[in-house]
Amino acid sequence: MGKTLYVLSSGELKRKENTIIIEGSEVRKFIPVETTDEMLIFGEVDLNKRFLEFCTANKVMLHFFNHYGYYQGTFYPREHMNSGAVILAQAKHCLDNCRRLLIAKKFVTGSIENMKKALQYYSRRGNIELDSIIEKLTVFSNYAKEQIGISELMGIEGNARDCYYTAFDLITGGGSFSMKKRSRRPPQNRINALISFLNSMCYVTTLAQIYKTHIDPRIGFLHETNFRRFSLNLDIAEIFKPIIVDRLIFSLLNKKEIQAKHFGAQSGGGIYLSEKGRPIVLKAWEERLNSTIEHPRLKRNVSYRSLIRMEAYKIEKHILHDEEYQPFAMRW
Amino acid sequence: MLISENIHIGGTLIQSYKICSRQVWFEVHKIDQDQENDFIMMGRLIDRNSYQRDKKSIDFEGSKFDILRKEKGTLVVGEIKKSSHSIDAARLQLAHYLYELQKNGIEARGELLFPKEKKREEVLLSEELKTHLDQVYQEIIAISSLEAPPHAKKCKYCRNCAYNELCWS
Repeated sequence: MGKTLYVLSSGELKRKENTIIIEGSEVRKFIPVETTDEMLIFGEVDLNKRFLEFCTANKVMLHFFNHYGYYQGTFYPREHMNSGAVILAQAKHCLDNCRRLLIAKKFVTGSIENMKKALQYYSRRGNIELDSIIEKLTVFSNYAKEQIGISELMGIEGNARDCYYTAFDLITGGGSFSMKKRSRRPPQNRINALISFLNSMCYVTTLAQIYKTHIDPRIGFLHETNFRRFSLNLDIAEIFKPIIVDRLIFSLLNKKEIQAKHFGAQSGGGIYLSEKGRPIVLKAWEERLNSTIEHPRLKRNVSYRSLIRMEAYKIEKHILHDEEYQPFAMRW
Repeated sequence: MLISENIHIGGTLIQSYKICSRQVWFEVHKIDQDQENDFIMMGRLIDRNSYQRDKKSIDFEGSKFDILRKEKGTLVVGEIKKSSHSIDAARLQLAHYLYELQKNGIEARGELLFPKEKKREEVLLSEELKTHLDQVYQEIIAISSLEAPPHAKKCKYCRNCAYNELCWS
């Protein structure tokens, strides 16, 4: 598997023979294209069509973020794993309400299960009383299983998440990172800014992993396909947000690696992770994605990033009537 | 799942048949292997860097011959393999090429090449091989028309197979 490149500096991004080159006023950096999978671009870079063609030929995905670190969009190269059979099966499962619900429910219940795992970990470690929240999450999970409509299911997912977020202040100790409630577009405080930033990292990472499989990121099951360009990555990311994003946030805050000084105010209102904070968070994020756990069926260590790809494979197998999808559940 | 076009049985399908019927189903449905698998990448490199003086990658009726050359008036089809690990499958694949050529009135002999092992093996088309191949064609068509892929079964090829993450995720 290739590398992920985070471009924080500004300059020109171009093709030089068969290499990617970043040229700024002071730096000139060569990046081998063969070992690059995706680039997350935060800096103000200039690039041309020749460069985009080069990325397509080498299946390199580009994700763009604005000045505040908000996701702007992805240059998604031409599909290279085309299977008509898979696309049709995926569409069939999306159009059939029963089949769609079955998969959507697994995203919700799988996500809630992993939220519980994250809370149980901190209740054990920090000796924090989180039992009542964990119990409520179980109720939401059972309730989700009974739903017959996607929008109701989405509602429950939202409620479960709100309930889960009440544990955040208990785990982090509040202080300058007190959350009170979840706010978006724009985030109203530091922890909300951190959650939004890392959630978008999780979405693009998932998108890049789906690209390596045969399923189509545009056809989602829980998230409506109509509203956005990509939706399946949002579905699959639900499973991993508690495990990868939230636990990383707790670890960053508890170890004081990220502090109040790493945030800034936005001109239009809201708080965002500043340019000083971004590299710290991205480095920790990349390390977390590359850390491995033993895969019970493959019998070898796999990274969290690979686990995301395998989740996409599991969806693929489900829609091909090969093996029923079981969401990844963290063991501890 | 409906496949309205007739499937074309190419060399890789024959080789897959010898290894795993699930792989056959995947290939017919254009569910390609993981292209980043180390062994796939290594195979690609070996193919690119060996026998550079020969003609390479010759398309013939949906199959691709690695090497084609003429030796003392007879045509030789060469198939390059990374290792002799699945030599039976490689033999059948090459026999299939020879059979296809024969159906088009071209007589040829085959050569299996293992550049890393510095080994080669001759393959000739026999009546026995032809009957076997006819049988294999029928079975491949039967697997292709299954609604769902045949269930994953662990075998000795799983470990290094580029479908292993798909099968065992």
